[in-house]
Amino acid sequence: MKNMTKPQVLSTRNKRKIKENLQAYSMLLPNLVLFIAFSIYPCIWTLKFIFYRYSGLASEVPKFIGLDNLMRVFRDDIYWKAARNTFVYAGAKIIIIIPLAFLLALFLSKKRKGNGLLQSVIFVPTIMSAAVMGLVFYLLFNVYNGQINYYLMEWNIIKQPINWLGAKNAMETLVITAIWGGVGNYMVYFIAGLQRISEETLESARIDGANSIQTVWNITLPMLGPILKIILMLSITAAFHDMTNVMVLTEGGPNYSTMVLSLYGYSFFFPVSASSITLPQYGYGAAVSAVSAMIAGIVTVIYLKLSKKLDDVY
Amino acid sequence: MKNKIMKTAFSTIVAIFIAVMIVFTVYPILYAVIGSFKTNGELTAGGSFFPEGAWQFGNYFVAFVKAKFIKYTLNSVLISISTMIIAVFTSSLAGYVFARQRFVGKKLIMVLYVGLMFIALGSVTLYPIYSLLMKLGLHKSIVGLILVLTGGQSANVLLVMGFIQSIPKELDEAAIIDGCSPYGIFFRVIRPLIAPIMAVVALFTFRNAWNDYVTTLVMSISMPKLKTLTVAVVQLKYSMNAAAEWHIMLAGASIAIIPILIVYFFANKQFISGLTAGAVKG
Repeated sequence: MKNMTKPQVLSTRNKRKIKENLQAYSMLLPNLVLFIAFSIYPCIWTLKFIFYRYSGLASEVPKFIGLDNLMRVFRDDIYWKAARNTFVYAGAKIIIIIPLAFLLALFLSKKRKGNGLLQSVIFVPTIMSAAVMGLVFYLLFNVYNGQINYYLMEWNIIKQPINWLGAKNAMETLVITAIWGGVGNYMVYFIAGLQRISEETLESARIDGANSIQTVWNITLPMLGPILKIILMLSITAAFHDMTNVMVLTEGGPNYSTMVLSLYGYSFFFPVSASSITLPQYGYGAAVSAVSAMIAGIVTVIYLKLSKKLDDVY
Repeated sequence: MKNKIMKTAFSTIVAIFIAVMIVFTVYPILYAVIGSFKTNGELTAGGSFFPEGAWQFGNYFVAFVKAKFIKYTLNSVLISISTMIIAVFTSSLAGYVFARQRFVGKKLIMVLYVGLMFIALGSVTLYPIYSLLMKLGLHKSIVGLILVLTGGQSANVLLVMGFIQSIPKELDEAAIIDGCSPYGIFFRVIRPLIAPIMAVVALFTFRNAWNDYVTTLVMSISMPKLKTLTVAVVQLKYSMNAAAEWHIMLAGASIAIIPILIVYFFANKQFISGLTAGAVKG
């Protein structure tokens, strides 16, 4: 009798477990299928094609070439130019956007009539298409017909029109549009952080005789520390990803002066503009993107290490 | 006395700073919308902020009819709404399973969901995705584009998961005692409670699909009929007589940005709070 019941219990428990698993997977499946198809599969594909030469012609068989693609990345001058541009772009964007966003948050988070509206206005670019606004900026920054040069000359700030999208200034123009598109985003993050600092803390600092600049420097900033770290992290990854504005505004030109890593990788798969026709090089494109992802990863790790050190200082 | 002067000076500087930032933010948008009512000659001559002559409503007629923007607007609406519905449905179910169910392989799957958010391969993934669609015969259909735009959504899933974890488990347990299946629990107990986070996912996926350029561009290469507004507007830049058509470009840009501005007008609180929910928690 005893020997009979034990397997019976086990099997009903097993049955319940199987049923639980089936139910869980049936609910997970719709998302899991999308995740496997659009997140996992492309990663595996990329890892494989790093080692192949392949241009996607119908009759072509991908050819295994070992580490040749990776070696070529390290010899590719344009790649390293793009890497430098990416760092310049990301650095300039972050250095300008973070203080601007912080100041906006500081001034607009005070409970005063109208501040909510002003916040919403500053946030508007975040919901707009970087591509469509890239086109609008393309017209605004046009050398001869653009509004920016028109106003600057009308107000006698400049004598000659500035070639905003020329090799000398294109990077600055891109950074300006990136700041336009992102400052509201980071302002909202900062506001969320500021709301976590209690009124009493600030009040007690004031009672102790600290003026507002001292309060911001000694209380608000250190207390924002943890959130500031997240914000910086997000801004670094975002700056490494930005591509749409570059693609629409400058197409990476002139003469690769605004080519960034993400767009450079893309250019081996698809034409960057309607006028550029190049044969795709899928294997090399995979290698380029993998090395770029690695660089972004290394930057992230270094940043995390540094920000940990900052913790120790405080 | 000196203190008071300092204070007024300080608040004046603050006011100027904010005013400059507001003008910086609003000007390009107003330029696009107001410029869309100018003639091409007025636009390229620079000049006044508002149209000097009559407002050119005809620009919109040209954009909608001659540049076929009616078709692209319908595409944008259909694609963005479908993407939004699929994303909300699949990510909330998956978020629920991760938060509440036990199943074989859960740890591994979750590690993949979290881990892949940190591997940023970017645009390379577009080609394998495109070739996958080709194998499935979906590369020339709107269904394929919608699925690609929905994507793996690991961030959305983790967002919903975090939200569900903050709901007391006793609610589920009570429902189990009442004889509810996991589906019953999800649809009767959890779904009403996670409406706020579902709204956030809905808004952001709608915005992303509506605004997307690169993915939609790539997926519509072999099927120009699938172009969305965003892609069609930007491609005006490359059309043969681009130099002569600023007014049409701006009319197109306005057609693309006004709907999302209207959505924002009604849901700006959700947009803003949703952003912080994603960033601070995740």
